[in-house]
Parts: sequence; structure tokens; C-alpha cells
Amino acid sequence: MSAVLALLVAVVPSAAQEVDEAPGLRAHHVSVSGGVQLVGGYDIGDATAVLRGNAVGPSASPFTLFSAGTSVEAVTGGETRVGYALTRSVSVEVGFGYSRPSLTTRITADEESAAVTLDAERLAQYVVDVSLQWQPPRPVIAGRLRPFVTGGGGYLRQLYRERTLVETGRIYFAGGGVRYWLRGGDGARRSIGLRGDVRAQWRTGGVEFENRRRVAPVVAVHLFAEL
Amino acid sequence: MKSSVVLLLVALVGLGHPAPAFAYLKFGFRLADRTIDVRWPAGPIRYFVNDRDIPGVSAGDFRSAITRAAATWQAVPGTSLAFEDQGMTAAPPGGLDGRNTLGFLDRPDLDRVLGATSLLLDSATGALVEADVFLNTRFQWSVSPQGAAGFVDVESIVLHELGHLIGLGHSAIGETERTASGGRRVLGSGAVMFPIALTPGATSDRVLQADDIAAVTDLYGVDPARASTGSIRGRVVKNGRGVFGAHVVAFNPVTGTLIGGFTLSADGEFVLAGLQAGPHVVRVEPLDDADVESFLSGEVDVDFGVAYAPRLVVAPRGGSSAAIEIPVDPK
Repeated sequence: MSAVLALLVAVVPSAAQEVDEAPGLRAHHVSVSGGVQLVGGYDIGDATAVLRGNAVGPSASPFTLFSAGTSVEAVTGGETRVGYALTRSVSVEVGFGYSRPSLTTRITADEESAAVTLDAERLAQYVVDVSLQWQPPRPVIAGRLRPFVTGGGGYLRQLYRERTLVETGRIYFAGGGVRYWLRGGDGARRSIGLRGDVRAQWRTGGVEFENRRRVAPVVAVHLFAEL
Repeated sequence: MKSSVVLLLVALVGLGHPAPAFAYLKFGFRLADRTIDVRWPAGPIRYFVNDRDIPGVSAGDFRSAITRAAATWQAVPGTSLAFEDQGMTAAPPGGLDGRNTLGFLDRPDLDRVLGATSLLLDSATGALVEADVFLNTRFQWSVSPQGAAGFVDVESIVLHELGHLIGLGHSAIGETERTASGGRRVLGSGAVMFPIALTPGATSDRVLQADDIAAVTDLYGVDPARASTGSIRGRVVKNGRGVFGAHVVAFNPVTGTLIGGFTLSADGEFVLAGLQAGPHVVRVEPLDDADVESFLSGEVDVDFGVAYAPRLVVAPRGGSSAAIEIPVDPK
């Protein structure tokens, strides 16, 4: 029995030392990251151009002139994030994203015209968000790889071509990812590494034809540095 | 200063037979190098109601229908339009008496014309001087709130004619089919100002549509209303040359509204004003759903198929889109 206790005493300090040396955020330090993100496409609404029907009385079945279905195509853009580590596990981040998604409209149900797809309309899209990130205090993946989960929300601003009109909205997201330290991360030195995120992003407002909440996947790959 | 006056006649067709007309979205005429809109000067438009009863519609019923139709136009927000009922008169409509008069007339010669509006205007300024509206007693009329099958709804037709009275021409937003008698039947209409009436008994045209509202806002809108809307301009071309008289419709997929206009020059240029700011699908079609003369005078080109603007077109708030070009192909 005494031999077992001695072994435990010997093992525990060793484990604690390993936690301290595992890659992780440095409390009360700033990190900066930048990279690319792929935002998935989503529909923004089907609309039908209808004419007033013709029948006795105050109403009649409408006459369909044509239908227009519009979607925002998947797009690759840039993203920068600045974080501040509150502890070695928790950080708060501010993100800024820019991309040029395309609106594609398909016209159908026109009795006088074949179905037609309109040329893409390019938007300029800006996103500013704030998020919280949590990283497990102990390594759950071997080596210099550490997972994290994240969630947040922000402001969406979309401009049509030639900046003739602005639409604004909100985004919310939740997801997770991993950091891989290329250098540092031991709590004593400045570090750099790679980071990958996968998020589900909900958006309300912006360029939207049906006033509905839309969801799209976001995949981001960044290079990060802790200062 | 009144240099001369011009008399215009615009007719609403019941069964799609040609009728003399000179019209487009807004009445207007060329003077030197500019187009002058036809409209009433500031202040209420005062009118009299002819005191003639017809079977099923008393003069009082007729006056009430006019009051409701006038209120419908007046209720368009952001406009300065106002009507003022001056009471009954024994004078029939049509006389050059300095009064705006609405009433029934026996016009068996116009066997497909439900009603018509004559306008007297100052050709130097475009200011309207007098306007008279008649409804044709050749048809059976009704003021029933729910409509009566086989009877033309007075309020719907008066609403249309009051549109002419304030300076609006015909809208071409509508689809028709030929009937066995050679006329046209409306399949769907996107404006009270469509030149062919709905079937007798229909009352849905007591309510203005987006195209009517855009037109009256364009003509009588006060500045805040204009600042909140935008326009789309461009050209329709066929084989590289402008198309005159093409019907251009802007569809807002957010609001579901349709607003139309025409190419009004040999260069095929058009302007669609009074649009809610936002993206629009722009569709072009030939004027083949009513008689061309119902809309425009001149050599109207109808030899092309339906086409769409190559991409969504944004009407900016308080401004105009960049000029777009919409190519069409001969049929």
C-alpha cells in the first residue's frame, strides 16, 4: 500500500509539469490571426411576380407572370481575428471578415420565355463580430494540437455593385476548431501556429428576400501569432 | 400664361377594341427639346357630378362611388393629390365649360368603350385646365359592394378614369388572350391603369396596385417620398439599335411589386421611377397584350421576344441605377 502511494506522489508532479509545458494560450496576452475562410452558399428567397386575377367579386386567383429564385453562392474571403486571453482556457476575440459573394437569380415559370439564369451580381460583404473561445485546460489531442470551441455574433454589412445600396444584418455562429503550435506555446515564449475553424453561421437581415434566418457553414484556416 | 389648349381623349376598353388614345405611364408631350408632364397645378382638383340616374345606379350612388375612388387616389402616401366634390350639376360631361364633370353618357357608337376621359391642357406648361369623365350607358352598371355578375363595377372604372384625369396614361402590366369575338380577355392585370377592364362583376380594381402608386408618386410626390424611392434607367436594343415602345417591367423580389414603363425614344431609352430601393428583376416584352394605340403613338416595335436584363438591377434610394442595356431578339 505504501508503495502505491509513493508511486502516485511521483506521478502527479510529473503530470502537472506536462500541463504547464503543453501548448496553450498565454493569459493576459494578445493573439492575432489572419487567413482565408470559405462561406457556404444559401438561398435567399423565391419570389413570384403575379398579376391580379380576373373574376367576379373582390378577389380572384392570381396570374403568374414569372418566378425568381435567388441564392448567395459560396465564396472565399479574408478574415482577421484579434484575441485577448482572459485565462489559459478562455479568450475573447474580435473578428473582421471581407468577401465578395455573388447573387445568382434563376427565372422560371414565364410562359413567354424559357428559363434563364441571370448573370451574377457581386456583393461586397463585411462582417465584424465578437466571440468567446474556450480551450480545454488539458491536452485532449496529443502533441502540439489543441482543440477549442467558439461562439459569438456580429454585424453584417452588404453592398451591391457600384455601392448603390447597403443592406445590414446580424450574424451568429457556433463551432470549433484546432490550433497547432509551430513554435512556442509553452507559456514562456511568443508563439506562432496554424488554426482551423468550422462554424455554423446564422444570419438575419442583409440581402434577403424573405425576411428569414439563413444558416451556412464556414470553414476558416488562419496563421496565428501570440504577442 | 396660356398659349393654347390641347384636348386629349383616353378610353377604357371593355372588350379590347381599338379606341382613339394618346397615352403612356404619364401623359406628356414634347416641347422643343424637353418632355412636359401633364398634371394639375397645386391645390385640390374640384369636380362636379352629373345628376343623371341610370338603371341600377342613382346619381347619389354614382357620386358616392366617385368619392370613394377619389379617396383611394388621395390616400397614396407621400403625394400632394387632393380632390374636392363641388356637388351635383345638370350639365353633362364633355362640354368645354371650365368645370370638371363626371357622368353617364349614351354612346352606342363606342360599343366597346366603358368610359373615357377628355383632358384640356395648357400646351405651354402642361397644366391641366379641365377634365371630363363619362361612363357609357351602353353597358350595365352596378355599385354593389360585392359586385354583380354581368354588371360593370362603377367604382373600379371611375378609379381608372380618375387616373387619367390626374394625368396618368395606361399601364401595360397585364396579360390577355384573344376571344372568339376578336376582343381580348384579361388573364391578369398589374395595374388599375391597364387599358382593358376586368370581367363585369369584378371589383378587385377598386384597389390600386404598385404600378399605379408609383405613377402617382412620380407625378404628385412630395420630396420625402421621392427621396425614399429610386429609379432604373437603360436602353432596350435589337440588333444594336434602340427599340421604341418596348414594355419594361421591374419586379422587386422583396416586396413582390411590379412597376412598368416604356422605351420612349428611338434610342430605346427608358426610366422606371418610383421604385422601392433594392434589387429588381427587369423584364422586357413587346406591347402585344392590348392595342398599341392604347399606350403610345408612333412606330412601336413589337417584333421581339420576352427578355430579361442580364443581371439584377439595383434601384438606389433617392437616385438612379447606372444605365443598363437589355438586348432583345427578333421573333
